[in-house]
Amino acid sequence: MADSTTALVNRTRSRGGTRPRAAAAGRRSVTAYLFLAPFLIIFAVFVLFPAVYGAWISLHVWNPLIDNRPFVGLQNFIDLFTPDSLTFEDFWESMRATGIFVVGSVPLLLAIPLLVATLLNRKIKGGTVFRAVFFAPYVLGVAVISVLWRYLLDPQLGAVNAVLGLLGLPSDTPWTVDVPWAWISLIGITVWWTLGLNTVILLAGLKGINPDLYEAASLDGAGGWQKFTHVTLPGLRPVMTFVVTITLLSSANMFGQSYLITQGAPGTQTRTAIMYIADQGLGQNQMGAATAMSYVLFAILAAVSVLNFRLQRDNTK
Amino acid sequence: MKNPTLRALAAVAILGLGASLAACSSGSSGDAADSVRGESDYSGPEVDITFWNGWTGGAAPKLVPKLVAEFNDSHPNITVKSNAMEWADISQKMPLAIKAGKGPDVAVGHGDDVATYAAQGLLLKTDDVVDALGYAATDFPDGLMEAGQFDGSQYGVPWSVTPLGLYINKDVLRTAGLDPETAPTDQKSYLAALDALKAAGIQGEWADGYVFTGTFEFQSLLWQFGGDLFNDDVTEATFNSEAGVEALTWMTDLIENGYSPANVAQDGNINALIGGQTAFNWNGVWQTTNEALQSTDWTAIPVPQIGTEKAVWSSSTHWMFPANKNGDPDKSAAAATFVKWMNDNSADWASTGELPAQNSVREDPALLANYPALAPFLEQLEYAHYETVSPGITSAMAAVTTGVNEAMLGKKSPKDALDDAAKKATALLKQNKAQYGG
Amino acid sequence: MSSLVTTTIPQNRLPRSRRRAPNALTYAALFIISFIIVVPLLWMLLTSFKTDFDAINAPASPIPNPFTTEAYSTLATGNLPILRWFANSLIAATAQTAIILVTASAAAYALARLDFWGKKFVFGLIIATLLVPGVIFLIPNYLIVDQLGWLDTLWAIIVPGSAGAFGVFFLRQFFISLPSEIEEAARIDGAGDLRIFLQIILPLSRPALATLAVLSFLANWNDFIWPIYVLLSPENLTLQPGLSVLQGTYSTHFGIVMAGAVIASVPVLILFTLAQKQIVESVATSGVKG
Repeated sequence: MADSTTALVNRTRSRGGTRPRAAAAGRRSVTAYLFLAPFLIIFAVFVLFPAVYGAWISLHVWNPLIDNRPFVGLQNFIDLFTPDSLTFEDFWESMRATGIFVVGSVPLLLAIPLLVATLLNRKIKGGTVFRAVFFAPYVLGVAVISVLWRYLLDPQLGAVNAVLGLLGLPSDTPWTVDVPWAWISLIGITVWWTLGLNTVILLAGLKGINPDLYEAASLDGAGGWQKFTHVTLPGLRPVMTFVVTITLLSSANMFGQSYLITQGAPGTQTRTAIMYIADQGLGQNQMGAATAMSYVLFAILAAVSVLNFRLQRDNTK
Repeated sequence: MKNPTLRALAAVAILGLGASLAACSSGSSGDAADSVRGESDYSGPEVDITFWNGWTGGAAPKLVPKLVAEFNDSHPNITVKSNAMEWADISQKMPLAIKAGKGPDVAVGHGDDVATYAAQGLLLKTDDVVDALGYAATDFPDGLMEAGQFDGSQYGVPWSVTPLGLYINKDVLRTAGLDPETAPTDQKSYLAALDALKAAGIQGEWADGYVFTGTFEFQSLLWQFGGDLFNDDVTEATFNSEAGVEALTWMTDLIENGYSPANVAQDGNINALIGGQTAFNWNGVWQTTNEALQSTDWTAIPVPQIGTEKAVWSSSTHWMFPANKNGDPDKSAAAATFVKWMNDNSADWASTGELPAQNSVREDPALLANYPALAPFLEQLEYAHYETVSPGITSAMAAVTTGVNEAMLGKKSPKDALDDAAKKATALLKQNKAQYGG
Repeated sequence: MSSLVTTTIPQNRLPRSRRRAPNALTYAALFIISFIIVVPLLWMLLTSFKTDFDAINAPASPIPNPFTTEAYSTLATGNLPILRWFANSLIAATAQTAIILVTASAAAYALARLDFWGKKFVFGLIIATLLVPGVIFLIPNYLIVDQLGWLDTLWAIIVPGSAGAFGVFFLRQFFISLPSEIEEAARIDGAGDLRIFLQIILPLSRPALATLAVLSFLANWNDFIWPIYVLLSPENLTLQPGLSVLQGTYSTHFGIVMAGAVIASVPVLILFTLAQKQIVESVATSGVKG
């Protein structure tokens, strides 16, 4: 969204230049802040202050149940990069888990919905019904679908292995118990759950592409694939950026599926960064270490996002 | 009450309590803030008290509301509200809830939690309550009373014990040509049975790498082979000793030798027993109330002695009185009355698949007459091991489970898995000592 | 190609010859995907009518044998207030959506149409938080909510998440795209900012507001990690953490767990079926307008 942000900021600047000046602006400020106040108050208490408070906590050994909370400077952060510390191994294993999930799920969550959206974009009967069906799992909520798939994929008692057995296929795949199967399960379930959301958004994007462009491409002798890469994809750029961003963020924040389906197993291999941080901070009461971890995760995510925007911008003509 | 001894004890306690209250009321006001008033019959203003417990399975969800209702009816100025949630949820949420003043007024927890909560300043002392109930350490299995102590004060009141046992599906044994009446009691006979089952195409014991029940089985075997989880002052993990490696190897060998499938899922083993796919399952006494189990021809015996000693894992539960922020001493006193009443009316507690901790209640022949399935579990209490008592011990125990899990899934050799886990556990023990002392 | 609001041409106005004709393969693919989505949900429903024994012994067959409602009666007499959880979720999601709509639209209006001291700073501050992962706020907000005495209450689920930057950002972009002639005419007529906001901007923004409402509602409905830690008593849980408790309580009594999932799903699906066109279209345009 960097290019759109720049565009926005530019637009703001130019608009500001044509407005009446000082005195009116001063009066306007009071009104403006009145409009902003409800939002800003909640924002200040629950977004701005916690961001700073969290940073403050990360500089201490902070156990909410114990009064002694010594200041330790950057030690919590240093520990995260010191191989022998208590948190090093677990934290990077959880980051690895998040990484695996993001890398495994995001491409699928873009490609499959795009494919489905292209199908839905054709002249079909009952398109709205299909759309609603695909969207339904998302509406049910992460817990319902996780609980359902935990059952279906249970290696010994679940329906999937039982049906596979009937078909003569291997029926003892440890879907929820061992890697890499657990990853396949988690990613597959997430795709099943949210493909409707991405499909619906991409479909709207597809419908917004001017069909004249396709006609022109056909006249130029372009085949199906070339139309796709030269008309569809560029036409989807802004919508795709939006979808990529929300998908990346929600995959990086994956918690529910791992918590309910694999419980972080085997061992702690599917324990995502969010799970580990939440457990350290609110379960083990090591709030200093946990907040430090959240800032490291933020830094990494920010770097990835910046990379993402740079790539998008460079591809825009 | 069925037990005349208990009745006598109670009578003495009440008389003695009356006397001591009269004498000590002014003297004990100093520590009223961090102790529970030991009243056997609450006589203060009307209070509502909340009670957290982890009894979500088996017969408990039906029995507990019944007991609570009975108590509420017979005590007009106390209303108890029982909240059942997962044990893991309780240990995760209760500490912070207590700190925020939203914790319960009475709770039941496991033996490895009491010292941790006490060290975190979350509990009220129960010395007075224990006196009022007339309990002494000898009224309970060895070591159980001490489990609820920290820094010289008593914080828990023992409630129940829950050892492992060997569950057997008799039909499955018969298909392998084995006689269910002569069940295996040692390594030799156990292996012989497993071999016979294997010859009949049955995987005799499904072993898993989860807390329920792989870790429990591992601990039992560790003690049977003469090892221990930690050293005496709980500063170092010792479960990666030779005994530990032997114990864990025994379990991974079950998979290697074909007696167990690999990658058994959570509860896979008990469900396989119920479904007739396996013959043996090391599981806790609470499974005696598993409804699905009742439809099979099952029995339970003490766990076989695989190692050189007799030993078996057992957990214990204790009553605790949270020290809520801005807590109301009346509520805590009412809670104490509730605890005493529960203890006195716990004859039916065995129906939930837990063994009452109090020796006299347990050794009452009426108990076995009503619940014969518990006999093999009662037998084992002589050599049962309970949880290690040390603040913060549960985080070190989590490392044990990780090690067991990794070995059972074949990710590491038993020795490597235990060595890695022990290193982690020792580091955690160090962190605990630094934070909690004791 | 960098325009934010692309032209949307309604499908039915396109000359027929230009729309790609579907073929059997298209329908086949769509039906297969529908199958993959619907079958597990049906399986969930059917399993909820199985006995425990049947669920363990005949997992390959979804048909209950015998057909029983014992899972539902166990839940009814059990201690888990599933319908109460549903109500809690509904209340929390609706309340948070309302707060978001009110506060974000007002703030977005100020940022889009008014000029004031510190405007760039305030906008920059809000934008800066757009990409901050929620986990940063998890622990500090827990402590704050604790201080406010909101632990174990629905306030903790409603208020903290209602000041997200996304709503402000989204609405601001939409307001900016509105033609300013109507407003200018109204100003010349003497209308103040509040009047313009309430009587001109908001009515024109219905689609965007609908989109934001649906997205916010779904986000709160799906919230899992935060309620798990701030809600304590069983009757105060919302649906998602409640189902987690359900699964923990009944573990591999899959008939019962599925029954709980069904109870949690049916009201949602009913609401969704009634409003699905509106919901899906609102969500659809989020990407186009975003």
